[in-house]
Amino acid sequence: MSKFFVDLAIAFRSLVQHRRRTLFLGTAIAAVTALLVLLNGLSTGVRETMIDTATTLSTGHVNVGGFFKVTAGQAAPVVTDYKRVIEVVKKTVPEMAFVVHRGRGWAKIVSDTGSMQMGVTGIDVRSEPKFASVLQLVSGKLDDLAEPGTILIFDNQAEKLGVKVGDAVTISAPTTRGTNNTIDVRVVAIAHSLGLLSTWNSFIPIDSLRKLYQLNQDSTGVVQVMLDRKDIDKKIPEISARLRNALEGAGWRVMPADPRAFWMKFQSVAREDWTGQKLDVTNWEDEISFMTWTLKALQGMSVVLIAILIAIIIIGIMNTMWIAIRERTREIGTLRAIGMHRAEVLWMFLLESIMLGLFATVAGASAGAGIASGLNAAHLHVPTGLQFFLMSPYLHLSVHGSLWVGSVVTITVVTALAALYPSLRAARLRPVVAMSHFG
Amino acid sequence: MKTRTTSFTLAFGLLASLLVHLRSGRAHAALTTPEMVELLKAVDDRQKNNGDWRANAYLEQKEKDKVDVVYETEYYRRSQDQKFMILFTKPKSSAGQGYLRIDKNLWFYDPSVGKWERRTERERIGGTNSRRSDFDESRLAEEYDPTDEGEEKLGAYTAHKLLLKGKSGIDLAFPMIRIWIDKATKNVLKRQEYALSNRLLRTSYYPKWKKVFSESKKADVYYPEEIRFYDEVEKANQTLVLIRAVDTKALPANLFTKAWLESKSR
Repeated sequence: MSKFFVDLAIAFRSLVQHRRRTLFLGTAIAAVTALLVLLNGLSTGVRETMIDTATTLSTGHVNVGGFFKVTAGQAAPVVTDYKRVIEVVKKTVPEMAFVVHRGRGWAKIVSDTGSMQMGVTGIDVRSEPKFASVLQLVSGKLDDLAEPGTILIFDNQAEKLGVKVGDAVTISAPTTRGTNNTIDVRVVAIAHSLGLLSTWNSFIPIDSLRKLYQLNQDSTGVVQVMLDRKDIDKKIPEISARLRNALEGAGWRVMPADPRAFWMKFQSVAREDWTGQKLDVTNWEDEISFMTWTLKALQGMSVVLIAILIAIIIIGIMNTMWIAIRERTREIGTLRAIGMHRAEVLWMFLLESIMLGLFATVAGASAGAGIASGLNAAHLHVPTGLQFFLMSPYLHLSVHGSLWVGSVVTITVVTALAALYPSLRAARLRPVVAMSHFG
Repeated sequence: MKTRTTSFTLAFGLLASLLVHLRSGRAHAALTTPEMVELLKAVDDRQKNNGDWRANAYLEQKEKDKVDVVYETEYYRRSQDQKFMILFTKPKSSAGQGYLRIDKNLWFYDPSVGKWERRTERERIGGTNSRRSDFDESRLAEEYDPTDEGEEKLGAYTAHKLLLKGKSGIDLAFPMIRIWIDKATKNVLKRQEYALSNRLLRTSYYPKWKKVFSESKKADVYYPEEIRFYDEVEKANQTLVLIRAVDTKALPANLFTKAWLESKSR
């Protein structure tokens, strides 16, 4: 054990002795580690924002949706007898955080100066515990959305429609029987845009949605099951399978698993030869599958950038080690001559690299985490174009402990591996040759 | 001497203006709520027919950077159950289209697609600046709560100026109206229609009023022969409505049906 500490002391002294080189290389490693932390923090932040936004605006972590077909060719995103569905969900998924139900629709919104097609989600705002925490209101009051004949839209939509809080808009949509119906609603709240998903989403009280589509009180669009964050990645497939079995056991017809958003299934469902109700169990990734490419693109870009940075580190370390070995060839020869084994020479150089890597990565990862916290605290506004993909008006980086440790370990291991070959070459030097080296 | 004359003139002027002010203050004494409701009832009553109604309406729509559009329509109403119908007769492209109001639901029929669509009271009739309620009997006392805003001169007319706020639970084209009612005749002279955000949406002028004797009412029924609507959102847009050939004779019982309106385009 004491020998290990002696080795550590030698490695440390050697690093201090060559402080310029140590400082230069250490800074480079620290910078790369900080960048790695920031890139991964951005990717994680976007993923978390995406989950939060998506699960607020358009999907639960697990959904029991489905289609009701009046005739074989007409499919509507309606779940009838939804209270019984909720009962089954509550029994089958006891670990869920909460369950809500929402109406689904696609309609034309007409103001005095313009019109646009957008999704209309029917909600009971009083039973939505997370809704208020994700939306940031520009004007109006969220509580007013509990009143019938009201609507919440996003600022980009308000701008396009030329409306503000208090103005009326008309919503027009075909009912399940194909007759066009309209309702007038009053804008009661305008929220900050939340990127891609909020571009075509608006919220009205579920009773107003039922009035628009002429649905009865037992109908809704989807039952959304919300889970605790720890269960999101691990338990969703198992919960979905469990729910499918339970719903089939309770007598419902359940559609086979299809990882697409509900609105992408209209055509295929309309082609199928059945009428009545069929339920569809999906998860949040299915419902936003059309846009997870943004996350994948960001992750892909991060991987490429990190690979380039690691390659630079490897080249830098190997190069520096070659120089160090060249400078210290006579020292190696002397050490070998007084009885140091090859393995000990290898260990000496490796330990030096590992120590340098560890110090630098700890500093870099801490700096990265600090910068991420600073950026989050600064509430930096991102340009509108970028908001579209980041799903938030602000830049959000998420640096967890696991990410910090992972970055430190990865870059330290890379540093050690980069130093391995030059260290091996140093260890193989013959003492006579090494001692007679001039350079 | 000159200074004394000036002082006297000034004092006299001040006294005179004070008297005028006091006098006008007494004249502008605010109406109580029952008085305002009575006033609105009088306005409604003058236009009420208590029976059937048929008339032609010409709608001329002017829009910025667009060719003017003129529609000829026939419209029908029945006081008893508040039924209402508009049938477009010209131009040819719009002939057969119509609006039918039954059970407080407004339906639009387009013969080119052969489908009925349910519309709301905000619907712009034929895409013009007019709304269904502009052609119907006045129901201001029933639909709005008034607030007095004093008296105002509109040209040669002295008018009561009221702010009307829509009662809850009623489907209205405009939730808030500022209205000028001729003090002498109780005819509506001008209206400003607002959204709940206080945004001015439309200004309407009623320059010509006419009367027709109604057998069912056993009295005269007043109607605006000409209405001018000015869009306050799209400033260049305006609509002129001319009402002609009013007939208050009883209409066939089956007139206010989807089948009747559909038959007009066959």
